[in-house]
Amino acid sequence: MTTTLEHPVTAAIPQGGGLARRQNYATGVAAGVIFAYLFWLISHMTLDSTGRPFGDQVATFTCVGWMIGFWIGIGAFNGPFRWLLGRDHTHEDDLYYAGQNMGKARYWKFTTDHKVVGVQYIVVVMSLLGVGGMLAMAMRTNLITPGNHFINQQIYNSFIAIHGMVMILALIVVIAGPWGNFVMPIMLGARDMAFPRLNALSLWTLVSAATLLVGTLAVGGLPVGWVVLDPISDQAGVGMDFFAMAILVFAVSTTVASVNNLVTIFTMRTKGMTLERLPIFVWGIVFTAILGLYAFPFFIVAETLQLLDRTSFTSFFVSTGGGTGWLQANLFWLMGHPEVYVILLPAVGALLEIAAVMSRKPVFSYRTAVGAIAALSGLSALVWAHHMFTSGWAPTLGGPFMLTTELISIPTGVFFLVLIGTLWRGHIWMKLPTIWMFGFMANFVIGGITGIYLSDIPLDDQLHGTMFVTAHFHYIFVGSVLFGAIAALAFWFPKVTGRFLSESLGRVSFWLVFVGVQITFLAMFISGLKGMPRRVASYSILFEHTNFASTIGAYIIMSGMIVLLVAIITSWNKGEPAGPNPWGANSLEWMVPTPPPLENFTVQPVVTEDPYNFDKEVVRS
Amino acid sequence: MSDTDNKKSLKSFYWMWGIGTVIAVLLSLWAPGHFMPRSMSGNMRLTILTMVVFSVAAAPVVAGVYAIAIYAIRTWGVHGDDIPPPAEQVRDNPKSVGTWLLVSTVLTVFLLVWGLTALAADNASTGKNPLVVDVTGQQWLWSFSYPGTHVQSNELYLPVNREVEFRVTSDDVTHGFWIVNMGVQVDANPGTITTIHTTPNRLGDFTIRCEQFCGLNHAFMDANGHVVTSQQFNSWLAAQPQRA
Amino acid sequence: MSIDAREVSESPSEEGGGHFQPPEVLDAQHRLGVWLFIGGDIIIVAALLFTYLYLRGVNTSGHWMSLVGYKGHSYAYYQNIATGSVGLPAPKLIHIGPMSAGMEWLIAAVTVVSGAIVWQAERALRATKNAKAYSTMAAVATVVVLVAIVLTIIQLRSIPEVFVATNDSQGMAYTAYDSAFLALAGSGLFHLVVLTFLGLGLTIRSSKGLINGERWFQARLVRFFWVWIAASSVIVAAVTTTINTIH
Repeated sequence: MTTTLEHPVTAAIPQGGGLARRQNYATGVAAGVIFAYLFWLISHMTLDSTGRPFGDQVATFTCVGWMIGFWIGIGAFNGPFRWLLGRDHTHEDDLYYAGQNMGKARYWKFTTDHKVVGVQYIVVVMSLLGVGGMLAMAMRTNLITPGNHFINQQIYNSFIAIHGMVMILALIVVIAGPWGNFVMPIMLGARDMAFPRLNALSLWTLVSAATLLVGTLAVGGLPVGWVVLDPISDQAGVGMDFFAMAILVFAVSTTVASVNNLVTIFTMRTKGMTLERLPIFVWGIVFTAILGLYAFPFFIVAETLQLLDRTSFTSFFVSTGGGTGWLQANLFWLMGHPEVYVILLPAVGALLEIAAVMSRKPVFSYRTAVGAIAALSGLSALVWAHHMFTSGWAPTLGGPFMLTTELISIPTGVFFLVLIGTLWRGHIWMKLPTIWMFGFMANFVIGGITGIYLSDIPLDDQLHGTMFVTAHFHYIFVGSVLFGAIAALAFWFPKVTGRFLSESLGRVSFWLVFVGVQITFLAMFISGLKGMPRRVASYSILFEHTNFASTIGAYIIMSGMIVLLVAIITSWNKGEPAGPNPWGANSLEWMVPTPPPLENFTVQPVVTEDPYNFDKEVVRS
Repeated sequence: MSDTDNKKSLKSFYWMWGIGTVIAVLLSLWAPGHFMPRSMSGNMRLTILTMVVFSVAAAPVVAGVYAIAIYAIRTWGVHGDDIPPPAEQVRDNPKSVGTWLLVSTVLTVFLLVWGLTALAADNASTGKNPLVVDVTGQQWLWSFSYPGTHVQSNELYLPVNREVEFRVTSDDVTHGFWIVNMGVQVDANPGTITTIHTTPNRLGDFTIRCEQFCGLNHAFMDANGHVVTSQQFNSWLAAQPQRA
Repeated sequence: MSIDAREVSESPSEEGGGHFQPPEVLDAQHRLGVWLFIGGDIIIVAALLFTYLYLRGVNTSGHWMSLVGYKGHSYAYYQNIATGSVGLPAPKLIHIGPMSAGMEWLIAAVTVVSGAIVWQAERALRATKNAKAYSTMAAVATVVVLVAIVLTIIQLRSIPEVFVATNDSQGMAYTAYDSAFLALAGSGLFHLVVLTFLGLGLTIRSSKGLINGERWFQARLVRFFWVWIAASSVIVAAVTTTINTIH
């Protein structure tokens, strides 16, 4: 198959006038800054400056100003207001907003084309991972020996929460953002998402929220841990208000994205694409979206109530006023546990997809796989209080939550079965996606098993709050999800760029990161077993060897990620060229040219079977 | 591939699995006791034992996954730039799904039963008259007082072999009261009292750490503890300055 | 690349960046979208009600409906005395009773009325195809929502504060009950503002004929959301008027 032109010459660039044509990221930032300043000014002048919450009130209004301004500036409000006034988009408007014939400029604008949004997500995710990674390196450097020889304690304490939340944000979208957007609609045989403008809104909302989150570094930081428990979060300065606003807005972004994903999948499948013929990756997105839609409203409520406590004299989480920190913890973890499955499930779906294609075999026991994903999603809503086993809250509920948490190991095991069954006696093509997938397997079994340890209350009574917990979830986040994300990147890179991600650099990166993960986090497990608490800027001499090892491991991971970054940048324009279907896959995204044309398909495809019949010899194209 | 070929080649997988399991079991028997703090209570012993048991149970699982990964790469891995030929298009195998589900459920139930039993053992109060100690956390130190006396101290003294009930609270933010050598911890929350109990069964010194992030000096909120004989305990109590 | 002519509809798209789906498909998509969105909103209201009931159940330090402090004057007044030479007298336990049930039910009733108007308007539109009449009724419903907004603001402003002075700090505070009430009422206010926007949109669009006897699916979509808001106001009123004081 040949590659079509990137910019087919059809209609001339729409020349409609108006401010809307000139809106982009720069105008968004400019308007955001202006409105932030205006809101700051007005709140500063009109609110009672002697009141205790004055600083928080001004900070909150400033954040609101930033959000509103950014959205006005980037053009997010254009759609709703045109609806309000009955001035609907014309065909020309739609094509303009989809970025037709706009070249690179469309990546800087409120563009509705899902493929543009997918690429924008790649950039945003990489930026967030970069910021979070640098914070991690600062922390690990400080921990190379006891005592604070690199950064001072207050700064370290602040970095903990921001590193945590920035990485969480990045990982929530790391697979669902780029690939749920770029690939998923094409996989369905659709022309775009159900709500393309909401899609662009999700992305730019994430950008505006992430700005506030990283901005906490500039306003005094967030030395309270990423769970922002009450009452310690009361002691945080205005950084906490920035954090709460960032989360509120981010939760809007994920809610909108979840709705968009679900409606797209359930109403825009092309003819013949029954639910049984859906690529397994799409099922991962389905259950991620359902879970996210259920869970993130709790985050909205938790952060709103924290903001109210800080700005409006309420007593939700203040014990002297009749509130309780346990309420905040419950609301937070009602979101927080499903959230980690929102992070994991897209990786699960993507890896099964990769395993099938690269083994030249169908997904093993497809229905069981879907059932396992559904069970993981459903059960994860029932386990939240295992984060509160040692909080003293409701000790009688310990047993039930232990039960539900340990039950999750069953669908997790089933996922391993399906993955292994797919690989079993396959002809496993050892390319980058496959290599990162095997790395995932090795790491996920450790991460999962150590999770089971923590679900056992007597063990948790010793290990809660230690570096054992930190090592557990880093094996999942870094060792599993990140590996899955890189596998997905290597897999779909040729569809986005028409080139392969560099095999040689990719392998160097893999070994550095894989070895680095083992050194860093196995040593960290030992730190935890020995009794080292988490969220500490310094530690007893008992833990110096394991911490030294963890820091060396972290530097190894960092070098691996730098190599990966180099690989991505150099391969994007100069990598080995790839055809439209370099892996010999059968799902619809590989049936369209690279890059896919504006509306994906010239003629709506009709599907007659699932994409897992690899029974014919295929020549690489 | 013929059946005998399959069985023969699976042999290397079984070898890897077996050796891996043996190594993992040996590690499981050794590591918890070696790394975890010296046990000074019954429930700490049980905790370390649980760590060993869970790790031994997990050993074949971890070894199995690693063995399959290595075996798969070595036996079925295809290198080079050409798309590999089609493999046998197996879509399902209900027997293996069923077996896997059964085994994993049995394993999970075992872990659950063990855990719930241990939990019940931890929670059961012996009914004997426990020594009550009030623990107060504040930024950034621990203080202990013994109701019935007017003693307040920053070091925790406990008599050996007597059950202790800790009533824990905080003066400011949430702290985490953790006796590292006794396998118990509970948060110290302002405005409320949380309770844990344990029975120290060995003489010696122990460490208390704060395991809930509580602000600037969270990392330095350690306290020292001492398990002493009852005579030593009583004389220590008597020797403390009496506060009103 | 050309867009396949069979897939293109001639009129401008209604919604969704219009990659040219026929109206029935757009309707099905938007209906699912609205239901999912309402689902998320249900969880928010449920979480707020959970907060209300949880705080009442746990009644930390007995402060569900009472606080130790001073009531009746402004922050500045108490602050003045507190920092003066005499200082404040001993604080008292102040019990604050439940918010007016009448006002709650009034707001709920007004919201329900606005929902009924919108629903009836839609039925009339489908029967008579008279878009102008629909526009008028939508306008009326929007005005009724504005009434509910004003009532809610009055209600919010009537929530009493207590001046609390502890060793480390002093300031105004709401009891846990009043805090939870404030959150529920505030959420109601936010949703009413959204309804105002939607009602205005219905009014304007139907006056321009974009919503008419043939294409009324957007009216129905908004009605779904409107009915949910009306229902949630009734649920909140029911819970907070029956479960408040601790006996």
